[in-house]
Amino acid sequence: MTRGDKFLLAALVCFSLLSAGVLWGRFFLPAGETKELQAVVTVRGEVVRSIPLSTDAKSSFVVEGRIGPSTIEVDGGRVRMLEADCAGGICLKQGWIARPGQSVVCIPGEILIRIEGAAPLDAVTR
Amino acid sequence: MREHDTRRLVYLSMLVAMGTALHVVEGMLSIPMPVPGVKLGLANMATLLALHLYGFRDGLTVALMRVVLASLVSGMFLSPGFLLGVSGALGSTVLMALLLKRTRCFSMIGISMAGAVGHNAGQLLAASLVLQSGAVIYYLPVLLLTGIPTGFFTGYLLNSLLEQKSGILRDLEPAATVPRREETVNGT
Repeated sequence: MTRGDKFLLAALVCFSLLSAGVLWGRFFLPAGETKELQAVVTVRGEVVRSIPLSTDAKSSFVVEGRIGPSTIEVDGGRVRMLEADCAGGICLKQGWIARPGQSVVCIPGEILIRIEGAAPLDAVTR
Repeated sequence: MREHDTRRLVYLSMLVAMGTALHVVEGMLSIPMPVPGVKLGLANMATLLALHLYGFRDGLTVALMRVVLASLVSGMFLSPGFLLGVSGALGSTVLMALLLKRTRCFSMIGISMAGAVGHNAGQLLAASLVLQSGAVIYYLPVLLLTGIPTGFFTGYLLNSLLEQKSGILRDLEPAATVPRREETVNGT
């Protein structure tokens, strides 16, 4: 093993540790904080409103669906359909939703409430 | 001169065969590695030997033929893994040839370590092209940190192999020293 070898070895180790620090430091830190949850309200395919779910504020608002106005209630981290004019009232029975990926659907009104945000992984397979 | 060409052809063929065998057998050995894609790189010894004995063109030929033959044997020809192997072989061969020719301060250990790094660089470049994503760069530190000891190991093996100067290596000498060898052949 020559001096050149030793120098190269040291340089390579330093470089790889440095690259690990730079790359993984950037890669792993943002993974700790999840993307902010928000409820996205879509009417006839178009996003009409998105509400952040990180605050504890209570509110309700009216969206104009295909068959008439519907009231959506936000309570802290959860959302539900409060009032609707549809015949079956299925959207009302779907109740509160709070987790990413959950949704409330009103078919007659063509209203969709969906919770978006970074979902924690269910499982990892390899 | 013609005799020398035949000798060279035979030795290069043997290096290709040895490289292929090492490559395939190494793939069969499931050395417990915590991360995928890490291997010893024993086949690189044949490439480096060819570079050392015959120069860049023949070294590159040995490396590429070894990758193609090994992929045919293991049924990986033209798969994404094969593309990664080709670009890795290209990267390592180019880098090792450069160091062999342009520098004098490295033994086979240093050149083999540089070859491992070149292999990783070539692989990641091909992987990012295949996957259409630059995210594979995050795998670089893993490959580097495992490539340094494996490169060191194969370089060390090659160093001690070249020191032996016995058996087949007595005949396998760099092209520059071949005439001296032929004199002794003529003398006997």
